[in-house]
Amino acid sequence: MGEFDPHNLSEEDFHAEVHSFQFWLEAVEGYLSGTDFGFEPTLTDQTFSARELNFLITTICNYCIAEKTALEASSGMIRFAPDPESAIFLSTQVVDEGRHLEVFVHRLKMLGVIDPWSEIKARANQSLLKFKDRLLELVDQQDWEAAIFAQNVILEAMEFTVFQSQQPTADPITRSILASIVKDERRHMGFGENDLGRKLVQAPHTRRRLDQISKELNPLVLATFTETASELGILHEDRELAISANYLATIKRLGFAV
Amino acid sequence: MMADFLMGYSIQSWLESCPQGYLDGTDYGHQAGEKEPESLLDNETFREDAIRTTVQLIAGERAALAASSGLVNAAPDDPSKMFLATQTLDEARHVEIFTQRLYDLGVKKDELDSVISTYVNPNLVKFAEVLLEKVDKQDFIAGVVGQNIVLEGMAFSVFEMMHATNHTNNPKFAHTLSGTIADERRHVGFGENRIGSLIQAHPEKKEEIQKMQQEMTYHMLATFTDSFKTNEDIIEEVQAQTMNDSAPAVFHGVDLARADAREMEAVLANTVLGEFKTRLGRIGLEYLSPAA
Repeated sequence: MGEFDPHNLSEEDFHAEVHSFQFWLEAVEGYLSGTDFGFEPTLTDQTFSARELNFLITTICNYCIAEKTALEASSGMIRFAPDPESAIFLSTQVVDEGRHLEVFVHRLKMLGVIDPWSEIKARANQSLLKFKDRLLELVDQQDWEAAIFAQNVILEAMEFTVFQSQQPTADPITRSILASIVKDERRHMGFGENDLGRKLVQAPHTRRRLDQISKELNPLVLATFTETASELGILHEDRELAISANYLATIKRLGFAV
Repeated sequence: MMADFLMGYSIQSWLESCPQGYLDGTDYGHQAGEKEPESLLDNETFREDAIRTTVQLIAGERAALAASSGLVNAAPDDPSKMFLATQTLDEARHVEIFTQRLYDLGVKKDELDSVISTYVNPNLVKFAEVLLEKVDKQDFIAGVVGQNIVLEGMAFSVFEMMHATNHTNNPKFAHTLSGTIADERRHVGFGENRIGSLIQAHPEKKEEIQKMQQEMTYHMLATFTDSFKTNEDIIEEVQAQTMNDSAPAVFHGVDLARADAREMEAVLANTVLGEFKTRLGRIGLEYLSPAA
């Protein structure tokens, strides 16, 4: 991008710039260039114990559910996006979410899962499925503020928190995959924050409705963390508490009720 | 095998061939530094004609964006979802680069909506409405035929014709079109390959889909007639100015640098309809003429 800095643009030009395909292309070219299904092709897999493998497969199966939810929600929102720039940004998000789903399904195959979608169904976190249903309901209702809040703030914050938490201790290939996905999630959350920030200035009464949605969805997010920990039969209470606290702190930092 | 065929449409393949392939180093679809020709910008009639033409491209691409994104959730399998995700971003890019062309032609950002509603052809709007009705019903088979065979088939030939007209006079616009033509070729290929087996599995859908194609074709041909009628005088003016020094711009045997508006309309309509017949035949559908 040379010496160009989008932050020097006027507010209107800034939004047009950062929501463009061109901006996305330049952003992802850096960190996806030379990768193969999200990781450097030179990386090789470590040997996993049966318990570690089971943990990793369950975790990635649920990442697939979250990413498929995000793919379906972001594609469904394009039709009722309030302006062309938002529609173009969401299109970049659609391909990001599709890529995440594709690399996670590919990772499952690398880990020896023959039929990934049967495995995903079998290991699905029920709280996450409830969250998915509620989010897609908001998308079907073409409720822009509620859908963008549930998708680009709540779901993205949940994924961001979990991916960031797993990244340092993950095996090299999963760590590499998560590193680029976290960068995408940061961009998606930024869009959600920015869009809602502007809407809330124009229509402060919207906050109360979003706070209600936040209060409705947060328990499902926290239940997802707890359910996964319990299903895996692991004693990672400290980590689970840390993930929950990080997630709630993110929502609070964005100014919404927890 | 279906699985192998769909792997060719994965996001990984798309990343390698499109953003990291033929779009690498481009700036809104053309080479950096390329500009619209001064002869176009300085002539108000030519500039208005270029704006009118570009508005039709934006209207078509906006419909394609709404359709491809709307079909993601209706896709019966994940590889098809992945392909439609890449198509969604392709169509969004097309909306963006053609919108950028309007700005390059002197349209101000706050005038965008009014310029589009002033110049958009009402027949093209109806064409899009027929397609989006199927998308709204989450009818995947009809939606993909309408989007990836009919709309994309039309766009493919229109872009090729425009490319032939512009490749010597306006390299910037010709380069913008080259990338979209490459995208459309991929989209049409997916439509043909994926839908054939679904039509075989759902023969009861044939009649309804053929009726949709007939209706879309009617509105498409009406759009062509309107557009060439509006442009008749401009085509003559451009040809009079460039008659002595313009290189032949051959499109399906017709030299566009010397053809009149009627010849241009006929060659475009015949090319698109010929493509429809071939492609619909490949997926087991019969082409229905709007006159029938």
